[in-house]
Amino acid sequence: MNETPDPKSFIRVIPERCDGCRRCEIACSMGHCGIPTPERSRIRVLPLPRSAGFIPVLCQACEDAPCLKTCPMNARLRTATGAVVTDEEVCIGCRACLYICPYGAPTVSPDDGKTLTCDRCAGEPGGPWCVAACRGCGALEALRPEELFPRGSRAAAQAVRRVLSPPRRRRCAS
Amino acid sequence: MRILIIGNGIAGGEVAFGLRRAGSADEITILSAEEAPEYDPCSLPYFLGRDVPRTRVFRRRWEDYPAAGIRLETGDAAVAIDPEARRVHTASGREHPFDRLVLAHGGSLFVPPIPGIDRPGVHRCKQLPEADLLDRHQGSRAVVIGSGAIGIEAAEALKKRGYAVTVIEVMDWILPALFDPETAGRLKRRLERCGISALTGERVLRIEGTQAVSAVVTDRRTLDCDTVVLATGVVPGVALARTAGIEVGRGIRVNGRLETCVPGIYACGDCIETVDACTGEDAMFQLKHNAIEQARIVVRNLRGEPADYPGAWAFARAHFFDTHAVTFGKTTRATQCELGELEILEREAGDDYLRVILKEGVIVGGQAIGRFADAAGLLIGAMWRRESIPALRARRELLAGPPPALPWTVRKLGELLGLTG
Repeated sequence: MNETPDPKSFIRVIPERCDGCRRCEIACSMGHCGIPTPERSRIRVLPLPRSAGFIPVLCQACEDAPCLKTCPMNARLRTATGAVVTDEEVCIGCRACLYICPYGAPTVSPDDGKTLTCDRCAGEPGGPWCVAACRGCGALEALRPEELFPRGSRAAAQAVRRVLSPPRRRRCAS
Repeated sequence: MRILIIGNGIAGGEVAFGLRRAGSADEITILSAEEAPEYDPCSLPYFLGRDVPRTRVFRRRWEDYPAAGIRLETGDAAVAIDPEARRVHTASGREHPFDRLVLAHGGSLFVPPIPGIDRPGVHRCKQLPEADLLDRHQGSRAVVIGSGAIGIEAAEALKKRGYAVTVIEVMDWILPALFDPETAGRLKRRLERCGISALTGERVLRIEGTQAVSAVVTDRRTLDCDTVVLATGVVPGVALARTAGIEVGRGIRVNGRLETCVPGIYACGDCIETVDACTGEDAMFQLKHNAIEQARIVVRNLRGEPADYPGAWAFARAHFFDTHAVTFGKTTRATQCELGELEILEREAGDDYLRVILKEGVIVGGQAIGRFADAAGLLIGAMWRRESIPALRARRELLAGPPPALPWTVRKLGELLGLTG
């Protein structure tokens, strides 16, 4: 595997800056399939209701990703760079990963019905194609992991989780 | 410490390899009644339908066990536990001592008491040897008894193999534990469009044949066939736990740390009774993701890091040919004996259907077919957050306002439920 992962391997989305041009979709499709078809893109620009803006959606590679646990073929894999991708050799196109995804991130390939997700353009010297295509409005940024998760944010998230987690009913067998 | 794990399925494997990943130097032994490295029962119908080669059903290879320093003893079922002497007895008469025991032996197929059920040609599709047997079987007309997820997946697999397939369901609709009649009716029509007939509200009386199967007789008709597949549900394995005096209900009873009433004996996977993570009610969701999460909790507790299991969650997809559907949380039937006002939100567009079940204004479950299913994650998120749908309705202008009025997932949810106007 890649010993030194791409230093800027995380993609941050800043939806307020997105103007809905969808060049990222075309770039993604070009980068992965060699053809400019947004249907084959692993990033998708969703319009918000009543022209209230756009949201570029791509796999967030959740730490405890539910798709890894629900895929019936165990075809969802965590790569060396931390991305979560579909092994297209094994995928049967059942869409479990799409249905359990909190963002609905996986794209269903129009070619074979298998799912496609962001691999952060692993191995591309210029970094992710979508970020390169988005230079105009700057809604996408490629970052190093520590830039995305500053120290302390994790502890804060855990604190929020403790407050918000639903009450548990304890039961003792004895 | 000697850690003995009964069962080499998803839960057992996750405990053993999870312990090693967590740095455990314990002596780990897995005791399995089967003769195979860990495989995924969810994958079996796709091997049967030849979507993937047989090698793809395995989650581990034989060599993974010695490489991780895990002893795997196959082909010998555990039959009794002596909790005082801390030993497990096997069918072959061997004894395995332990300091900590993990029961992860899952469940077994519920075999209904139907005359002729043991005739040659009556198959199952729960375990790998059963799927192998069905794979080698030469037949042309199949009857699948039971229309749960496995039944439907087996029916699709046999249809792809050129069989004429009929599914029989004793309840009034297919996939009765997972879907409401309204959703299931639409799925049934789509199943029939694919050439699989589904007979609901019909009881199998007997399986006929001079030697091998020749027909299935129901309370309405006789179906000529040469193949029967039993897909009649899974019952948790509790007999072994009983030999140790462990308390059992529908499944093995465990506390929040997934320990049974005998200290040092843990249980996880399809053999346990647990709670619904969202509602706190008793639940039995025998699904892979729950087995994995339970196994991880057991690992942490075995490592001396107290961890509480938040509960299991219901999520399943139904998929055959070009039909894609999803279900999560509770069905209407599951909410029927509860207090609280129910509201059903429905949307339909062509062949696509969405059904969301609200109790006291909060999503408790939902089902979707086609395009609507793609956004199931947003609904599941709202269910976990206990998002008040009436409150969202009242904040219609925020749902459509400029960012960052509400998170985009909530705005998309509003659009999906038709609240944006």
